[in-house]
Amino acid sequence: MFEREDETVERVIQHLRRPVAIDRGLDARVMREIAQVPPEGRRVRPLWPLVAAAAVVATVLVARPWNRNAASQADTLQFVLVAPQAASVALVGDFNDWDPARSPMQTAHGGGIWATVVRLAPGRYRYAFLVNGVEWRADPNAPAAKDDEFGTPSSVITVGGRGGGS
Amino acid sequence: MILAALLLVTQVAVQDPRLDRLDLDTRSAVAAVVDSARVARLPIEPIIQRALEGATKGAPSTRIVAAVRRLAGDLGTARTALGTSASEAELEAAVAALRAGATPEVIAHLRAARRPPLTMALSVLADLVASGVPADSAAAAVLALAPKARDADLVEFRRAVERDIALGAPPGAATSVRLNAGALDITPNSSSSPGQLPTRRSRP
Repeated sequence: MFEREDETVERVIQHLRRPVAIDRGLDARVMREIAQVPPEGRRVRPLWPLVAAAAVVATVLVARPWNRNAASQADTLQFVLVAPQAASVALVGDFNDWDPARSPMQTAHGGGIWATVVRLAPGRYRYAFLVNGVEWRADPNAPAAKDDEFGTPSSVITVGGRGGGS
Repeated sequence: MILAALLLVTQVAVQDPRLDRLDLDTRSAVAAVVDSARVARLPIEPIIQRALEGATKGAPSTRIVAAVRRLAGDLGTARTALGTSASEAELEAAVAALRAGATPEVIAHLRAARRPPLTMALSVLADLVASGVPADSAAAAVLALAPKARDADLVEFRRAVERDIALGAPPGAATSVRLNAGALDITPNSSSSPGQLPTRRSRP
């Protein structure tokens, strides 16, 4: 039994020791296939990360969040005048070309409290209330315009920007 | 050179249509002031607004023309004190401060002590004087606060002084007391962003 097994093993060994016949064109074909596979380092990558980064940079440059313009710093202000006897009140000033038709004031419940809301960019503005189209009144809740050169009272309001200490 | 001359002529020739509200003589005089201001690179909008204010208030022509001429001159003085980089708002506020009694030297010192914009600081100075505070006291107070105070701090300082005056305090004393008592809480690292006035919907 052991002899037969030895013979079998010997035959297997001899079979494995026989030279393998390889097609002579195999090497050339293999190298050709390898050449057609792009190396990892030369692979063409998608451009979308670059495009996304460029879009972010462009957005920041256009929006300039560090340099907000005057419009974006505008302040919404409500102007109020108590004038129970008035039939009409208009707010006029540097912000509306001193045109009474531009900012008529409204009274909500007929109680003589007249109000209007305007949006102002940073700056210093002179203004006044025109009551019944003929009577000029300063704003009792705001500093007076000291340099009134036209003989009627005016007030001033300053809308701040981002000013601060040095 | 020729192009620049043509541009200048074009600018002079174009008159702001808002000035049509003025009578012919007043309009011509105001337009001349506006053109001179434009050539001097001064802001023209404040001049136009002053003329429109006069027209709406029914002021006589001579008074309107005098007002805009005076304003143009004061804008030039303000620009000299603040420098060519000053904004229109800063120049207008500086004019108010000058008219309140601040000297050009005070404005120049303020410019050196505080980073722009100086609009609120100059306006507070002018408003304090309008409240009765002597000009030198108001200037000294604003200059003392200028390096560190935020715009909101300056406004609160003015309101506090005005409250004290309304309660009967002498204006100069109210200013110095508020200044020396440390009524302001000037904390550079406070929670709100420096100098940022909150958007409000209230009476000015």
